[in-house]
Amino acid sequence: MRTIKQRESIRQLRRPLGFLSGLNTTLFHLRNPWVVTWWSAAFPGFGHIMLGNYLKGFLLIGWEFFTNHRSNLNKSIFYSFTGEFEMAKNSLDLTWATLYIIIYVFAIWDTHRSTVDLNKYFRISYNENSLISPVKITSLELNFLDKRSPWLALAWSLLIPGLGHFYCMRILTSIFLSLWWVVCLFYSGAVIGMFFTIMGDFSRAIDVISIQWLLFMPSIYGFAVYDSYNVTVEYNKLFEREQALFLKNNYQNSNFNIFNIK
Amino acid sequence: MYIISAFQHSLYLEVAITNLEKKGIPKENILAVPLKKRRELKKLFDTINQSDGVSQLDTAAILGTIASIFGIIYGYSLKWGPLLWGLIGLFSGFILGFIIDIIPKRKKRLQKACPNSSDTEVVVIIQCESEQAQFIEKVLWENLALGVGRFDG
Repeated sequence: MRTIKQRESIRQLRRPLGFLSGLNTTLFHLRNPWVVTWWSAAFPGFGHIMLGNYLKGFLLIGWEFFTNHRSNLNKSIFYSFTGEFEMAKNSLDLTWATLYIIIYVFAIWDTHRSTVDLNKYFRISYNENSLISPVKITSLELNFLDKRSPWLALAWSLLIPGLGHFYCMRILTSIFLSLWWVVCLFYSGAVIGMFFTIMGDFSRAIDVISIQWLLFMPSIYGFAVYDSYNVTVEYNKLFEREQALFLKNNYQNSNFNIFNIK
Repeated sequence: MYIISAFQHSLYLEVAITNLEKKGIPKENILAVPLKKRRELKKLFDTINQSDGVSQLDTAAILGTIASIFGIIYGYSLKWGPLLWGLIGLFSGFILGFIIDIIPKRKKRLQKACPNSSDTEVVVIIQCESEQAQFIEKVLWENLALGVGRFDG
């Protein structure tokens, strides 16, 4: 009887607090719009991934890699900051850089706008005491709300970006981050470069690495660490909230005869 | 008789409640009250069980990423090369950001130092016959109750 009643209430929900699928837990929580905006600026698409706009995020990240590579933007940034302005001008491809900048600004603007709106949505949904179903079982994956350690997520992300997201069931983010991380490791020559660096052969390290690809890596790394930690904290809060609402609905019988023994 | 216990939010709590129901304690005799939490200013770090809604990594991750990029760029003209300076940038930016985030928090913490409140998040009270008390207590302890007490009335 109880379970039927609860399922009805779930069906009636207009504004759920989150959604569990086999691959992902998507949820709403308060975010600082400027922090999300920053991640969009660091790497167009990351802001969207944070919010759960995966398709937009994946398209924008793909676009970023493609146009940045085509326009040699990272190389040009490098030359600009080291004062070699002629080299900076020569290495930049104007056509692709122009296309790049429009999408870049759009991504930043779009995440800021979305975050502000989603924060409003979150407040409404929180006030409505919306329930969510805490378990999702599919033939491919199991997903359920539970308590997980944010620091463990962070530690795994430090080893390979993406692992922390595996741990906290953000599998789409995980696949995407680890994929691009490996691509960057491969093309930047970072591993071999690190080998020479550790051996003290710094000039050979510089020879084997590619600045164009290396400059992608700090953003991916920083984002993976930050987002996996943050998501885990928010999942724990969602777990607590779901359980608290469940207990209130099911274990607060008005006939409970408190401290009044016959 | 009443058994009173304190829990944190966890799956164990639901294991405990369902076990009790299986062993014949009716649902109406179980009262669970989730507590509203004190705004946790005393905690510096988020743990698996608590967080105060402010990420300590906002500034750290931002500064870490920026410093790493500049570490790589200027590492080319420094002795240790771009990779080592990139990593040095990452960690020093991260630590700097972390400190920036923590200092104002610390002040607040000192201002609003609160009594050492316990970690209790849910209070569970079970009404039962006195012969049932022992197994109820056992179930509660086995599922990580923070504390269990009896009230005979």
